[in-house]
Amino acid sequence: MIKFVGVSKKYKNDIIAVSNINFTIDNGEFVFLVGPSGAGKSTILKLLLREEIPTTGSIFVDKKDITKLKRKEVPYLRRNIGVVFQDFKLLPNKTVYENIAFALQIVEAEPKYIRRRVPMVLSLVGLSERANSYPQQLSGGEQQRVSIARAIVNEPSILVADEPTGNLDPDTSWEIVKLLSEINKRGTTVIMSTHAKDIVDSMKKRVIALEKGNIVRDEMRGVYGYEA
Amino acid sequence: MKLNTAAYYIREGLTNVKRNRAMTVASITSVTAALLILGLFLIIILNVDSIANQVESQLELKAFINDNYDATKVAKVGEEIKAISGVKSITFESKKDALNSFKKQLGDKSYLVNGLENDNPMPQSFIVKVTDANMMKQVSEEIKKIDGVTQVSYGQDVVDKLLGIIKIIRIVGLFVILILFIISVVIISNTIKLGVFARRREINIMKYIGATDWFIRWPFLVEGIVLGLVGSVLAIAILGFIYGYASDLVNNKLIIFTLLSAGVVIKQSLVYFLAMGSLIGAIGSGISIKRFLNV
Repeated sequence: MIKFVGVSKKYKNDIIAVSNINFTIDNGEFVFLVGPSGAGKSTILKLLLREEIPTTGSIFVDKKDITKLKRKEVPYLRRNIGVVFQDFKLLPNKTVYENIAFALQIVEAEPKYIRRRVPMVLSLVGLSERANSYPQQLSGGEQQRVSIARAIVNEPSILVADEPTGNLDPDTSWEIVKLLSEINKRGTTVIMSTHAKDIVDSMKKRVIALEKGNIVRDEMRGVYGYEA
Repeated sequence: MKLNTAAYYIREGLTNVKRNRAMTVASITSVTAALLILGLFLIIILNVDSIANQVESQLELKAFINDNYDATKVAKVGEEIKAISGVKSITFESKKDALNSFKKQLGDKSYLVNGLENDNPMPQSFIVKVTDANMMKQVSEEIKKIDGVTQVSYGQDVVDKLLGIIKIIRIVGLFVILILFIISVVIISNTIKLGVFARRREINIMKYIGATDWFIRWPFLVEGIVLGLVGSVLAIAILGFIYGYASDLVNNKLIIFTLLSAGVVIKQSLVYFLAMGSLIGAIGSGISIKRFLNV
């Protein structure tokens, strides 16, 4: 469960990124975060990942106030939150397999477990054939699948996707969203920020809409609501 | 730390060493140079220490007796010296004994004094051991008053001077070592910084997927320590080689004191060198990663 309580973030240059944000996301939900650029979507995701600390307010992940985490504890929070970025952030000098295995090496998983787990996740994202390719040999959609595989290989309870389809064509975007939806059906909470109106409108999932740092709408079976 | 994680750190660290080849060579060279100078001071200090010990162990008075005194007169002087408080023991050294012991000191150059037996220039003397080194001066004053004693000499001046020199060398050496240490740390830190910079994307991703600071830090620490250690091993090899030659050369010319052998010097300074090398490396890399860990 994720809970934002009266969260505001003011950056050093006095720009107010978000102000008095309140929402709760239950386990297993699929939530779209929508709004114009600069509305505060990225800030909310950064706050959730503890990349930023709110100026006021509390953020709870599984009942723990993450604004009070010590520096040492942050990695363990992040192991429980998989992240997918618009620009994939794959390591160019590692193969698809190695990119995914890397996430397990970092948490000091047993090599035996890594050898079993990575092929499983590869087959889940439909990339078993490309295990030994390097990222630049893959299409954008395939690269994003690798990055999703890396995000879920640790079996985090939350998956955060920051405009995951931003660099992809509509057809590929749909495949990625279907994959995220599939992961969500297996029990992972998914939070996705996006500008893709079509996707949001047809998925009929919960939508949290932001404008100028405020929540202007929070609907259970929502639509994008802006002119795309 | 798990074994395969440790293997990962070492593998990644060595990869970094190979990746920045030019900078690796540059920083090893500078660490070697710095440690060479540092080692020079260490060797000087070790040797001066050893010479001071050699002199101190000879901490005895020598009372030279009038050449014309015969055995009975000499014995009488001996009695008088013995009576002075603070005197532990006395040994008589005849003119012949003195010449022989001088010959011994000369070693294979003893031919220099051949033929002097019949016209022996060495004085007869009493070697006086005192109960306490601090009483040297007082005892020597007493002995001087005795008739027939021509001169009293003791090593105190030399020892004092040596101790003074050691102190100065230690202070200067410490200062130079500190400066060289800082320079080496900066050089290594710059080398590592290049590696960290080249891998900042990777570090950033690692932070996002939940790597601990230490997990990110270790490979760079390994890299720094490897650079420092290689530098120090090179330095000690060069130093040992040169010192081996130099000490042989000096020991052949120098009669009164002997310099420490190269083996002893290397044995005594090896631990310092390795510790210094790895410390320089570890601090250097520690500094350079710090900034990149804040994500």
